[in-house]
Amino acid sequence: MDASIEVHGLSRTFHTTVRRPGFTGAVRSLVNPERVAKHAVTDITFDVAPGELLALLGPNGAGKSTTIKMLTGILTPTSGHARVAGVVPYEERERNARNIGAVFGQRTQLWWDLPVRESFAILRDIYEVPKAEHAARLKEFDDLLDLSSFWDTRVRHLSLGQRVRSDLAAALLHDPPVVFLDEPTIGMDVVVKEQVREFLRHQVTERGRTVLLTTHDMTEVERLAERVVLVNHGRLVLDGTLDEIRRKFGSTWQVRATLADAHTEVAPLPGIALLQRTGPQVVFGPDGPDAPTVHQALKAVIEHHEVTDIALDEADLEDVMRAAYVHVEEV
Amino acid sequence: MQSLRIMWRITLLNFRAQLEYRTEFLLMVAIGAIWQVSVIVFATVLLARFTGMGGWDSSEVLLIPATRMLAHALFVLFLGRVHGAGRQIQEGRIDTYLLRPMPVHRQLQLAFFPTNAIGDLTVAVGLMIGALSRSELDWTPGRIGYLIAAVIGGLFLEAALFTALASASLRFPAADYWSYWLEELLGTFGSYPLNVLPRAVGGFLTYGLPLAFVAYFPVAVLTGHGHDTGAPYWLAAASPLLGVLAYLGARWLWRWSLRHYSGING
Repeated sequence: MDASIEVHGLSRTFHTTVRRPGFTGAVRSLVNPERVAKHAVTDITFDVAPGELLALLGPNGAGKSTTIKMLTGILTPTSGHARVAGVVPYEERERNARNIGAVFGQRTQLWWDLPVRESFAILRDIYEVPKAEHAARLKEFDDLLDLSSFWDTRVRHLSLGQRVRSDLAAALLHDPPVVFLDEPTIGMDVVVKEQVREFLRHQVTERGRTVLLTTHDMTEVERLAERVVLVNHGRLVLDGTLDEIRRKFGSTWQVRATLADAHTEVAPLPGIALLQRTGPQVVFGPDGPDAPTVHQALKAVIEHHEVTDIALDEADLEDVMRAAYVHVEEV
Repeated sequence: MQSLRIMWRITLLNFRAQLEYRTEFLLMVAIGAIWQVSVIVFATVLLARFTGMGGWDSSEVLLIPATRMLAHALFVLFLGRVHGAGRQIQEGRIDTYLLRPMPVHRQLQLAFFPTNAIGDLTVAVGLMIGALSRSELDWTPGRIGYLIAAVIGGLFLEAALFTALASASLRFPAADYWSYWLEELLGTFGSYPLNVLPRAVGGFLTYGLPLAFVAYFPVAVLTGHGHDTGAPYWLAAASPLLGVLAYLGARWLWRWSLRHYSGING
């Protein structure tokens, strides 16, 4: 099956003036400016399959937003190419706009002075959505996001949570197959965050939308993402599943088991090390680069030993990503 | 047709939204009118104290601010959001416009309803009625047609200047400040027969900043002063057409600048 999002060798360079320190430096910069190239994104390649949710992660300034802006048609790449739902976004901006929805958590795409519902109606006209289809979709979004409690309020009077929920609905009202979300839950309280995550999960699993998400919220990644692309200094440094990332940067799980027989011998298991034993209490941990995931290890321990109790300890994704960011910085 | 329907619908909704804040709405209408106070004072002084200016009869001179004001008011109403576009650019709204299947320039114009245009238009229509009622010209269909063309050409010429600055704002945010200077300049010098100014200033306001083409040249042609402007007669007479051509050029510049847009905030 063709990918919904194809990115090949995508790069974007900005040219900026070097700011020299001090007053003299500022005058020198004015008279004789020194221009430098800033490589915001360099030679990034990845695909996203239809119906897949991919998290594009990286520290601040890594190039995530620039990548999304190129894929949504806001920016033109310096080199490389991209296709979104079969369209080159920066060559056919308006055609691409019909295939995508986008939410930038810090900005709204709604009309500031109009009630939310009227913004929705304008978008219906712009995207030429049939009235019945629009009404049905609005009802579905209302059920999931509780929009009707505030959709007659002007956008300028909405809370952040209400505004982003409205933006999410606005981005999907024309039923786009591909959705870009740039930090959609930034600044939200936990209840609204969960509501938004549930909505996104529904859009992927039930509606089959392809989602490219950037976030700094690892709980969000853990709950939603099947695959992660990690970028730093504009370069792609990792493309894999969460399990692969855990294995590479945060294999700090431990399986604690109580054996039924305190004297039984513990046979070695591939990729699993016996870290500690006190009578019937045993602690297993990962062994080597090919260590299994915590869930595979749990299954293996239960299959090979008779246990009366078992517990898991696992480094959370936040720790894993911190380790990954530190690692890519060192590289 | 669908595009016109959407534009009309958004305009109506925006207008209704403005109406809901009654005091704000009235204040905006008032500021639109008060902003033109210098033109009103000029017209009053001209009629009360002088019989003419630079070889022009005062009733002929009055046609200059009337034409300029009407062109300006229509510019504010139909294309005026391009003035101050830098703010929308700085707020990142251009990014949002680029996400929709609609031309960015059109979305820029539909961002809000220009309530102040109501004040501008009221003053401009009043001034034009006053100027026409005092005019001793024979208003043949040809003259009326040329006056309408002059107003439309003036609208487009003003739009061209502000669109060019908005295009520059896409890359250099500070260019937006120039639009305030430009508005000030158009308001200050747009009401006079430019032959009363020193030759260098008149030359600058003709060939540097084409202010003369907004109202001075077309009114000079209408009133029979077309050969005394210092510019070739055909050039002065072609002012309405030049306004339209300048606007087409400015829109081309806008599209080029948008293709090279590098965004804000990374």
